[in-house]
Amino acid sequence: MSEGLNYTFLIDTFFVALSGVPITLLVTIVALLIALPLGFLLALTRINQVPVLNWFSRIYVSFVRGTPIIIQIFIVYASVPLILSLFFERYNININVYDINPIWYAFIVFSFSTTAILIEVFRSALSTVNKGQLEAAQSVGLSNFQAYRRIIIPQALVVAMPNICTATVNLIKATSLGYAMSLQEITLKAKVAANVGYNYVEAYIDIFLVYIILCSLVEYGFKLYEKRLRRYKYVSA
Amino acid sequence: MRNMEKYFDIAYIWNSLPVLLPFLKVTFMVAGLSIIFGTFLGLILAVMKLGKSKIAQKIANFYTTILRCTPSIVLLFLVYYGVPAIADNFGLYLHDLNTAVFVVITFTLQFAAIMSEVIRSAYESIEKGQFEAAVSVGLSPFQAYRRIIFPQALVVALPNFGNGLIALLQEGSLAYTIGLIDIVGKANLIIAANYNTHALEIFIALAIVYWVLSIIIEKFFGKLEKVFSKGKHTINTN
Repeated sequence: MSEGLNYTFLIDTFFVALSGVPITLLVTIVALLIALPLGFLLALTRINQVPVLNWFSRIYVSFVRGTPIIIQIFIVYASVPLILSLFFERYNININVYDINPIWYAFIVFSFSTTAILIEVFRSALSTVNKGQLEAAQSVGLSNFQAYRRIIIPQALVVAMPNICTATVNLIKATSLGYAMSLQEITLKAKVAANVGYNYVEAYIDIFLVYIILCSLVEYGFKLYEKRLRRYKYVSA
Repeated sequence: MRNMEKYFDIAYIWNSLPVLLPFLKVTFMVAGLSIIFGTFLGLILAVMKLGKSKIAQKIANFYTTILRCTPSIVLLFLVYYGVPAIADNFGLYLHDLNTAVFVVITFTLQFAAIMSEVIRSAYESIEKGQFEAAVSVGLSPFQAYRRIIFPQALVVALPNFGNGLIALLQEGSLAYTIGLIDIVGKANLIIAANYNTHALEIFIALAIVYWVLSIIIEKFFGKLEKVFSKGKHTINTN
């Protein structure tokens, strides 16, 4: 059994795994683009105790944090086609539900779960900004919107950045479950290549390496951005 | 709406619960063992990070970084295929080992990375003066740790430990991918036996089970924190 690693396969498959990176990044970026504003708005509803929305986002966060992503994927992947086929049938739209690119399901699942995580990130970040800052901004004549945009958000963002970074890395990792929706990302591509000769050890080493490279780059990028955001922040000794 | 009735039957959610719940035993067993071993390994890593040796620090930090960047499913398969392959080199045949063993190894490795950070940050949140004060009134260093430092660090660590536990429970749901028949594995078996009908109902049942479990864990740790932080006065952030 023990013939050691198949190095040619290891090297070839590394590039196969690498070719899944664009899909992974696309899902990550789309999910973040949806989740960032939505998470921020829902965090505001929590902080300002907006009647129904406040209650809604509480349950939403609790559900997403309380259930494994794989089960969220199962649920979306089983229910969305069902709902869509009903909808298509009723309005006589001639689209086969099973022809829909799985990437659309991935967008739904991952923006759904990331929004919940970001609600908590923004909520804790906004609560670190002193209330006096908002009052001071209003007292010099800024509108609520201006106060948030110019005074509150820049400060909260510095606090939120490390957590947004963690959320992004977790999101990238979570996309590896996209194989359950036959999403053509890193894991699925390498796994398919491994199926031919049962070179699973090599394939998983490749996937492992690709993720480490990807995550290190993302973490490094966030660190640079955090430094930029911090440039006006003076901490008294 | 007729289609919906054919495919979706709410009663199915309720009816699948008695079949699924007994398999929580497997989920709990795997999670419990991973927590015990993971906490122990995490403690060792935390000691390495806090210690004076630069090399030990580097190794422990490197370990945490790597584990933080690896998706659970990748780690799971790496262990599942990799451990027996490595053991082959030493003349050990591990291919027939119970799947649960590989699952426990995977989540021990992962939980250790989380715990090392939880323990480190809890320890660092306690001022050095506390230890010095304890020693200055005549306690031995061991007594100082046991009576003064540990109880305070525990309060700081509790919420993070609770979060780690919930995270572990959820990552554990991936163990079905290497063939563990836990609650998720059983759910997939039921669905396969049903020729893929009523899959949605069973997944919803699963989601409910997990949701209830994490609410219980969260509430439990909230209570625990209150008990342990008696006598502690800090800013109220609620």
